[in-house]
Amino acid sequence: MKNNKPFFILMFITAFLSSCSILKTAPYDQYSFQKTIEIKIDANQLIDKAENSYEENSKEIEELQNEIAKIVEYEKYKPNNEITYKMWLLLANQDKNLLAGFLKRWKEKDKLSPFFITEAKAQITEAFNLLLEYESKKEPATKNKLLELIFKN
Amino acid sequence: MDFDKILQELKKSLVSLFNDKFSEFSKESKKDIELFLSESKSKLERWTSLLAQGKLTVEDFEWLVKSQKDLFKMKTLQAAGISKISLGHFKNKVLKTIIDTIKVLVF
Repeated sequence: MKNNKPFFILMFITAFLSSCSILKTAPYDQYSFQKTIEIKIDANQLIDKAENSYEENSKEIEELQNEIAKIVEYEKYKPNNEITYKMWLLLANQDKNLLAGFLKRWKEKDKLSPFFITEAKAQITEAFNLLLEYESKKEPATKNKLLELIFKN
Repeated sequence: MDFDKILQELKKSLVSLFNDKFSEFSKESKKDIELFLSESKSKLERWTSLLAQGKLTVEDFEWLVKSQKDLFKMKTLQAAGISKISLGHFKNKVLKTIIDTIKVLVF
């Protein structure tokens, strides 16, 4: 009787690699990408107004905060999406010094200086760019491609 | 089926795959982080100069320095995510190599 052990080992390796969740990343998501761009643009337009009183812009600020809360919740429940979710948490945390932290400081000071606004805006834009670059590097529907690869062969 | 032959072929293909790809992962992320740190240095110099000119308050300066720290956290998360994507591609290549080798030798 032929020894079939290596064959089963190979099948086991193939099955193991296919199911290996540590290496799984959520596929590219057009909604996430588009929503991140929209929030980035809205945030930049709002930041430019930070020389004016917080109260004058409170309605727009609240709208932006709602949009941020929605995308954070959306990213939280996507499978294999821990990294994007953690990146969003940094942007959305009032105690960190990115977008939500900027809005908190604006509220505390009521008006911010133009030099500070320019520098802070560059920081926040860079944070959004990191998110967008990461999303764009994700494979479109990786899982489907992998399944296709296995079943076609 | 000659499993010894299959295993020999597989070993050859996988070793070449590892040699080609494995060293690239950490090198790419390291380069990225180094570039980020050099950009951080330029920012710190600019903010220090604006502080000295009185265009930024000490509080503004501190806020910006902390924002760079938070940005660094985002950068490391992104680098980890990109490495994970590369490892995922690598995993797919390993799977394809195993399946291709078996396919050629068996059929």
